[in-house]
Amino acid sequence: MTQTDSTGTPPAPSKTSSSLWAWLGLVPFFLFAIAFLFLPSLSIFINSFQDNNGSFTFKNIIDLSEPFIINAYWNSISISVITAIGGGIFGFFLAYAVTLGGMPKFARPFLTTFSGVASNFAGVPLAFAFISTLGRTGMVTVLFRDVFGINIYQAGFNLYSFWGLSLVYLYFQFPLMVLIMTPALDGLRREWREAAENLGANSFQYWRYVAMPIILPSLLGSMILLFGNSFGAYATAYSLTGGGAINLVTIVIGAQISGDVLNNQGLGYALALGMVVIMSLSLIGYSWLQRRTERWIR
Amino acid sequence: MSKSLIFKLSSLVVIVAMLGACATPAPTEAPKPTAAPAQPTAAPKPTDAPKPTEAPKASAMDQLIEAAKKEGELNVIALPRDWANYGELLDGFKKKYGLKINEINPDAGSADELQAIVANKDNKGPQAPDVIDVGFAFGPEAKDKKLIQAYKVSTWASIPENLKDAEGFWYGDYYGVMSFQVNKDLVKNIPQDWSDLLKPEYKGQVALAGDPRKSSQAISAVHAATLGNGGKLDDAMAGLDFFAKLNKAGNFVPVIGKAGTLAKGETPIVLRWDYLALGDRDSLKGNPPVEVVIPKSGVFGGVYVQAISAYAPHPNAAKLWMEYLYSDEGQILWLKGYTHPIRYNDLAARKVIPADLAAKLPPAELYAKAVFPNLKQLADAKAIITDNDKGWNKVVGADVK
Amino acid sequence: MKRGSIWAWLWFILGLIYFFLPLYATFDFSLRLKRGVLSFAAYENVFSDERFINGFTFSLQMSFWTIVVCLLLIVPTAYWVHLRLPRVRPVVELITLMPFVIPAVVLTFGLIQVYAKAYTFFGTSLPSVLSLDLFTLPGLINLRDAVAARAPITLAFPIVLIAAYTVLSFPYMYRAVDTGLRAMDVRTLTEAAQSLGADTPKILWYVIFPNLRAALLSGAFLTIAIVVGEFTFASLLVWPALGPYIQLIGANRAYEPAALSVISFAITWATLGLLQFFTPEQQGQIAGAR
Repeated sequence: MTQTDSTGTPPAPSKTSSSLWAWLGLVPFFLFAIAFLFLPSLSIFINSFQDNNGSFTFKNIIDLSEPFIINAYWNSISISVITAIGGGIFGFFLAYAVTLGGMPKFARPFLTTFSGVASNFAGVPLAFAFISTLGRTGMVTVLFRDVFGINIYQAGFNLYSFWGLSLVYLYFQFPLMVLIMTPALDGLRREWREAAENLGANSFQYWRYVAMPIILPSLLGSMILLFGNSFGAYATAYSLTGGGAINLVTIVIGAQISGDVLNNQGLGYALALGMVVIMSLSLIGYSWLQRRTERWIR
Repeated sequence: MSKSLIFKLSSLVVIVAMLGACATPAPTEAPKPTAAPAQPTAAPKPTDAPKPTEAPKASAMDQLIEAAKKEGELNVIALPRDWANYGELLDGFKKKYGLKINEINPDAGSADELQAIVANKDNKGPQAPDVIDVGFAFGPEAKDKKLIQAYKVSTWASIPENLKDAEGFWYGDYYGVMSFQVNKDLVKNIPQDWSDLLKPEYKGQVALAGDPRKSSQAISAVHAATLGNGGKLDDAMAGLDFFAKLNKAGNFVPVIGKAGTLAKGETPIVLRWDYLALGDRDSLKGNPPVEVVIPKSGVFGGVYVQAISAYAPHPNAAKLWMEYLYSDEGQILWLKGYTHPIRYNDLAARKVIPADLAAKLPPAELYAKAVFPNLKQLADAKAIITDNDKGWNKVVGADVK
Repeated sequence: MKRGSIWAWLWFILGLIYFFLPLYATFDFSLRLKRGVLSFAAYENVFSDERFINGFTFSLQMSFWTIVVCLLLIVPTAYWVHLRLPRVRPVVELITLMPFVIPAVVLTFGLIQVYAKAYTFFGTSLPSVLSLDLFTLPGLINLRDAVAARAPITLAFPIVLIAAYTVLSFPYMYRAVDTGLRAMDVRTLTEAAQSLGADTPKILWYVIFPNLRAALLSGAFLTIAIVVGEFTFASLLVWPALGPYIQLIGANRAYEPAALSVISFAITWATLGLLQFFTPEQQGQIAGAR
């Protein structure tokens, strides 16, 4: 241990130089973020207000009111809301089941691991999995036809429709909900329930007056996250329709990138801008609700 | 202690796998400069008679082959291997000249191909297409947008006049007619005509083979539907209306129909070019059995055209590819894919078509009834169908559920 | 807490059915290539398809480069934020959350707009002897062949794709590294190292990185899972990755895509399972393409 003695005082780094090092150290990260995140976003923003000659115009934004585009947004938002609520409720109950529902010890890690896997199974393989299950020659379809004599497609079910797609989306929506809500539900301390019971509350009253108000911000926040998750989804819908003829905003943007289907570049940018705006709003909503949650659940 | 060991081992495995993965794709398709046989013409010789249309000056062809081999690669786009027997054509070209072929996006539609040229104007990498194979209406569009360059293959004279650009920018390569491709396992009562498709028994079963805003095949199907809806080829609105009706009735399914979706049952009835339908029938090998029906009342003929990109990274390889495609050898390979190659009449006249292949083509009477729209009709139809306000997006797309 | 047990079990079973039924159906479907007979023919077709091997290899290589770039960016950043610049933390966290705000499709749109011209720099045919052909990791291996063939060499390194993947894995890497840093006493270790005369690079390399091994590994596994399954960037930027290949097969074949889904699922299981094994405290992560 002679280093400290060799040159006298050990080289204590001065405050300024270490701060400088720190700032410099952050430079690559920020440069990267600027280059590959901010610049593209900025370019979309700017381009959506430009027409073909490069001059400033609101026309692209106004063009968003075309029925086709409105329909695309409507479909995207609808499917996101439906799967957020559906996935949220289903996921919440599952999370509740393994945290507070008195399940055996193995259930929880099993569920969370599987949720992690299931939510990563989204996209291309998921579409094919559902086609194998509920497609026209899928296992469940054939089962219903052979065993129960019901042809679900004749009865009106169609995997390649709005509702079918929602069903597929749920597969990665409620695992997300499970993964977020299980730690949140942990925050519901047992003492609170016991205290409530001591004061004479029944189960319903406990939930209505104690648990729900605490859990609600987390619940809503997660649902908003689910909304954003579904709104930005592209690969699943694209694979399900074999190339994307379904009318969702992400699909239209994708088609525009590869084939100028809108015949109007500016409109594509405006579409993208619209998406970013909606996603930002949902993220802001989520953060706000997260902060409210943290009040109670550390 | 054991956990740490397992940790080390698995990290090692991961790293080795990565490096192994990196090392394995040894360039098996590396250009072999010495392997290509020197051939003055690209044609096989089924007869011995000299072929005035087939013999470019030996030196020019050799020079082209040299230059192409120097480039070493060819970038093609939107060429599925089972589309008109492109699989054999690609393999044949690779074998003959030893060039590497980058197959960009086999699923692309014609509009995708043009867009790929636009997007990769300055890119000399493997995403920039050298050559394109697009629907007839897209040829003039590409020329207008200055996306293609002119080249007249050595067999230029035997390509019919009305199926090529006079200046040599684009040139027809093969043609066929629109048909219904039906999965016999799932569809008991096979539709025989356009009006049949509207029947309630085909609920959720009828599909296009592409995105009607991008794919020439899908646009042609919509255009073809005008014939089935009592309209004239001049006005594609009748076709759009047909699909609006189809969609309203719930018979239209917004899935892009391909061999896979046909077999899985997502799209039991697909509107597809007859040559593709026949090719799929073969490749599915009876699982499921497929029937190809050419509609009784409206036989719609469609031509595809080849062109070389104006920004091609490998222009000489592109030209060599064209020479190969328009040689007798290439044309007959296309014939093998159930198409009528563009030089069909010339080949038939010189009796170079093998009899067994000729027998497999769809019967000539049906082709006699076929209506081939002219360029103006095609351009108008394309404009209307892809129009944002009046076309597919409005009439059908907005309602697709 | 036996109350509500019936409910709990009901939801649990329902969840299990919904989870497992598609998987089982896919597996069953994948065995039916030969009419009427159960066989692994679909799997044979997949594994013998050259494009599958190429796609999988390409995606693995992409994940390797993504991990490298991501680590090089994230670890020093997280370290300094943790140690010296806590005020910057919200900004950094916001940046790592950007992939949620800007969906992949939109980001691709922007990237193409900005960098399409940049391909001239990154993708030009350089008539020189420098080769960075992607499929040979040390570019030198190809150098010999290239010089021998005297062919022009294209620098087709998918920089934009790797950048996009890195952006995609930011949230998970950052969270993993941040958690790892919190678990170790960064300040004390740094000061100890400094008092022994180490400068910052040495500190990072000898002190920080080794202690973050578990976190880094978990981030790495997650990145592999994400990148190998990714579709949107690869498809729209036109690179021959595994995702576009699976989609293509799905359109053109009936039974092979089911086999591919099963294989894909197995890979995901493997990587995430290993992740769980090394970081059991992490309760699973959400990742990947949608």
